[in-house]
Amino acid sequence: MTNDTNSSLTRRRYIKAGGAAGATIAIAGCLGGGDGDSDGEETTTASDDGGTTQSDDGGQELEIVHWWTAGGEKDALNALIEGFEQEYPDVDVTNNPAPGGAGSALDTEIQSRIINENPPSTFQIWPGKALNTYLESDVLVDISDSVWDDGMRDAYLDGVKEMSQSEDGEFVAVPLNIHRLNNLFYNVSVLEDAGVDPANLDSPSALLDAMETIDAETDAAPMAHQTQAVWSTLQMWEDVLIGHAGVDTYQDVIAGNVADNETAVRESLQLVADFREYFNEDAGSVAWDEANAKVIQGNAAFIHQGDWAAGQYGAADDFEYDSDWGNLAFPGTDGVYHVVADSFVMPTSNPSPEATEKWLSYCGSVDGQERFNPVKGSIPPRTDVPDDEFGPFLTAQREDFDNSDAQPPTIAHGTGVTPQVKSNVEGAFSAFVGNWNVDAVYNELTNAF
Amino acid sequence: MRSRILRVLRPGEQADAESEQQVRTDGGTSADRPQRGAADSDARADGGVTATADQPSRARRWLDSEFVKSLPFWLPATLLVGLFVYGAIGWNFVISLTDWTGLRQPTYDSFDFEMYEVFFRNVGKGGLLSGPHTQEYWALRNTFVLLVVFTVAALVVGLLLAILVDRDIRYENTFRTIYLLPMSLSFVVTAIFWAWMYNPDTGMINETLRLVGLGSLTQQWISDPQFKLFAVMFALVWQFSGYAMVVYLAGLRAIPTDQYEAAKVDGASLVKMYWRVIIPQLRASTTSAAVVLMVFALKAFDFLFVLFGTRPGPSADILAMMMYRESFGITNWAYGSAIAMVLFVLALGVIAPYLYVQFKRGEL
Repeated sequence: MTNDTNSSLTRRRYIKAGGAAGATIAIAGCLGGGDGDSDGEETTTASDDGGTTQSDDGGQELEIVHWWTAGGEKDALNALIEGFEQEYPDVDVTNNPAPGGAGSALDTEIQSRIINENPPSTFQIWPGKALNTYLESDVLVDISDSVWDDGMRDAYLDGVKEMSQSEDGEFVAVPLNIHRLNNLFYNVSVLEDAGVDPANLDSPSALLDAMETIDAETDAAPMAHQTQAVWSTLQMWEDVLIGHAGVDTYQDVIAGNVADNETAVRESLQLVADFREYFNEDAGSVAWDEANAKVIQGNAAFIHQGDWAAGQYGAADDFEYDSDWGNLAFPGTDGVYHVVADSFVMPTSNPSPEATEKWLSYCGSVDGQERFNPVKGSIPPRTDVPDDEFGPFLTAQREDFDNSDAQPPTIAHGTGVTPQVKSNVEGAFSAFVGNWNVDAVYNELTNAF
Repeated sequence: MRSRILRVLRPGEQADAESEQQVRTDGGTSADRPQRGAADSDARADGGVTATADQPSRARRWLDSEFVKSLPFWLPATLLVGLFVYGAIGWNFVISLTDWTGLRQPTYDSFDFEMYEVFFRNVGKGGLLSGPHTQEYWALRNTFVLLVVFTVAALVVGLLLAILVDRDIRYENTFRTIYLLPMSLSFVVTAIFWAWMYNPDTGMINETLRLVGLGSLTQQWISDPQFKLFAVMFALVWQFSGYAMVVYLAGLRAIPTDQYEAAKVDGASLVKMYWRVIIPQLRASTTSAAVVLMVFALKAFDFLFVLFGTRPGPSADILAMMMYRESFGITNWAYGSAIAMVLFVLALGVIAPYLYVQFKRGEL
């Protein structure tokens, strides 16, 4: 029977879970697949190079840990690495992906490796408050002088620079790409059928009215959405709050003053609960890309999603920007560029300090960002990257970014609140997406920050 | 840990051994061969005492002693299990007594039960009956419900299947394979299958209900908090009742046919015969199946993680999920370890009374 393999698997899993709970550093070190692999790679390369891995001259090995393993993301990273290798031929890049959306597997690997003082050269992380765990333990190197030269400082906007700094103003991260969160994508023909003009949507309440019309006039779901995982609804609430009460209120709320803004918070939550009537019926059983596919098929009118959703439109046949789909800033959030960013950092006890600095400088360079972002479907945080490589949609997004008045961080994507607060807020929303009880979620939010 | 218990249990099933073996060969199953082998050779070492009765030197005698001779059979396994199972559990307990958070090595200078106090205070916060409940309350409650309901349901379904398959039906092997097959599939695969089937719009379950005119029974199976945990348990029972069936089938084959005949001669009805005569003899099978099924219940983590990420919501949150969030989401290692210990005690607590009763009856 398969029982034997199965129960031994279980036992190993059990140990892993024990290790996972921080039980045994040593055992986690032995069993953690990632650790073993990377150790192995390091030793092999070391012997190939004649043991020069650690020396300053000659080739250095750069191990990059990241979670970009899906199609477009992977291509984007490969383009970036290719450019880096051309620029710095003396560095050997070890590409060590930790698959799992939004770093779910990466955290596990990085944290145990940092505790074991065996970190990779650099790893992917959300900037902003998500760095908090690492900053509190003092395991990130200050790169204010070594990487952030004047050219870089001039080219980044303030909101993004703030995210790259610790509370004392030391630069510790280099943002590589920026996604916009406050988009409302729509299927042009569904809106035309319903007689809704997207240009008139100037507030979340107006969006609610428009969805009512669409519901009455067409068979399509007024809004495609997924509630299976919490983050989509959380990011929707963030933008409803900005659209309804303004970006200053939002900033005040994520700073922890929920009770001071009770009316705004309650009203925005109520709007999300009202939106829910117009979601696709299977919102609770689909992933975000399945929901997004409904917009492509014409089975849904709107979707609120980060601009990574546009990548799916580009890949679909006969679904063109402007003629088939359009987008606008989420109603009420004109002038706001709600930033979701990825960055790379330099952990202490670094195996290859020089190579890591070279990598981080390259991530902050015009060339690196120009290679990476068009493929990833994001915009470069540097404002001086030429437009040529970016299609019409991303060029429009870049224009909005350059002219934006505010670049607030997000809760759902880690930049705006500490991991502890993010976890609490997600807990509140995980109940909300089931019971849509505004009072309950408001009470939990007041305790979450 | 559990397979260790299993191993202890096995010799007690000596009576079933022969026929069990047979079933195994049929089904291409080699589950406990090595362990059984070890048990056998233990027995042989027992019997072999007379062979060493010459007058050798002390070292020679020591080398020939039963203890030393049996070493190769149990020592490697004991060391490995001791280090990787009990060692890990022990270390986990030690960490749960510290205040370890963040990304530095833990300090072992003060130990207290603070993490457990926090956990149980949060469980009771807001009252046990009224609300609002904390995540600790929901996770504990759901884990308990999952352990008990899933285990019992899988056992019952497995027993029924085993009795049906045991009644000399045609294509018996085929049926056995069909029922056992889901267990060989990864949770990642089955979770996605079930997500499709539970889809309220296009899923097979709601479509079928509509087809047979029961449209009023359609539900948002995995998003409605009322049905979420039930839906997950249903899928798990589907996946693992096949395992219970195989274990019971082995048990049924061990019961001599004359007992069936005797019951018939005594005029027992079919139901009465199984209830009074057959099922009471399946206790050992029940124990071993229940232990393994509870391990599978803990594996619900994979299933939930694929469907909902680390936040299944209060209605389906379990301790394993919460432990993962606390540890790797927000690096509260000590608290995560404490949750793991609670989970461990909970699992032991569910099975211990049954093991104890069996032990008293001398059936272990």
